[in-house]
Amino acid sequence: MAVEQSDYEEVPGVILTDRNAISDFLKTTKAQDVLNWGRKNSLWFMVNAMGCCGVELLSTGMAHYDTDRFGIIPRNSPRHADVLIISGYVTKKYLPALKKIWDQMPSPKWVIAFGDCAISGGPFYESYSTRQNVDEIFPVDVFVPGCPPRCEALIQAFFELQKKIEAKQDKGTEY
Amino acid sequence: MDANTMIDSLSTQFPDAIYDTKVESKIRIIAKVKPEIITDVCKYLKENLSFGHLCCEFGVDYPGRNEIEVVYVIGSYDHSVVLTLKAILPRDNPEIESVVPVFWNANWYERETYELFGVKYLNHPDLKPLVLPEDMLGEWPLRKDYKGFPNKTAKNLV
Repeated sequence: MAVEQSDYEEVPGVILTDRNAISDFLKTTKAQDVLNWGRKNSLWFMVNAMGCCGVELLSTGMAHYDTDRFGIIPRNSPRHADVLIISGYVTKKYLPALKKIWDQMPSPKWVIAFGDCAISGGPFYESYSTRQNVDEIFPVDVFVPGCPPRCEALIQAFFELQKKIEAKQDKGTEY
Repeated sequence: MDANTMIDSLSTQFPDAIYDTKVESKIRIIAKVKPEIITDVCKYLKENLSFGHLCCEFGVDYPGRNEIEVVYVIGSYDHSVVLTLKAILPRDNPEIESVVPVFWNANWYERETYELFGVKYLNHPDLKPLVLPEDMLGEWPLRKDYKGFPNKTAKNLV
């Protein structure tokens, strides 16, 4: 005999898995701190080189900077990645593809706007093809100005993101 | 064969269609051409005057004259003369014959001129936008009266 869902809600002391009750409960406890500690130390980023800043993005993932120390690992599939780095100007043609990448990434996920072009459009901000203000489309946590920023700036951005996650101030999760 | 003989040969072959010829220097010649026979002119240039290399093809917008110029810059592998060929089209309905049957590399040049200026190439094998998204077709962003620039809406200018 099929049981209505409303029947479950009346059972006292039972937390249902079809609602956010468990995660809501966790968010108010120390368990969320432990979760965030784990999340902030495994920020795998999506290798999505969109412009000349992409070269800095690629070299950040290489052996010289050794970002594996901080759990920052480049991933080649959006399904493995936690961080999307917008590393260039977003054209009207590229925006649907970028949204598709973003939708393929599993939660929790964060965005870093890397370079002047990603923040405002950079030198191309008044082009007929540039989509301005990508922070209205993606929940950008950290902005990294520079043209292009150095690899150290990107590592600094990851540190800022780690601090935000630890302080529960990031936009990737609802607290 | 030097620049003067080339331009004379072209003018005698197409007396009605070639006008405003000019020899700028020993290696640069300029001519205007009626758009109806551009393919025949290009074929003659390629087969008889060994202009075998289309360097580029693009559009220029002149809203004051209500005209769009399509410019062909044609070079050669055998001599050092570069020919600039200009065809003048009406701005309301710019249509010209495609030169892809003569110069195969004109394919992408014509697609780009089509998406940016709205020049319609007749008998082009695959006339669709080259770089721009499909929904921007019809805006013709490189025309001088294009109004779609988003220059006042950027928030976080750095």
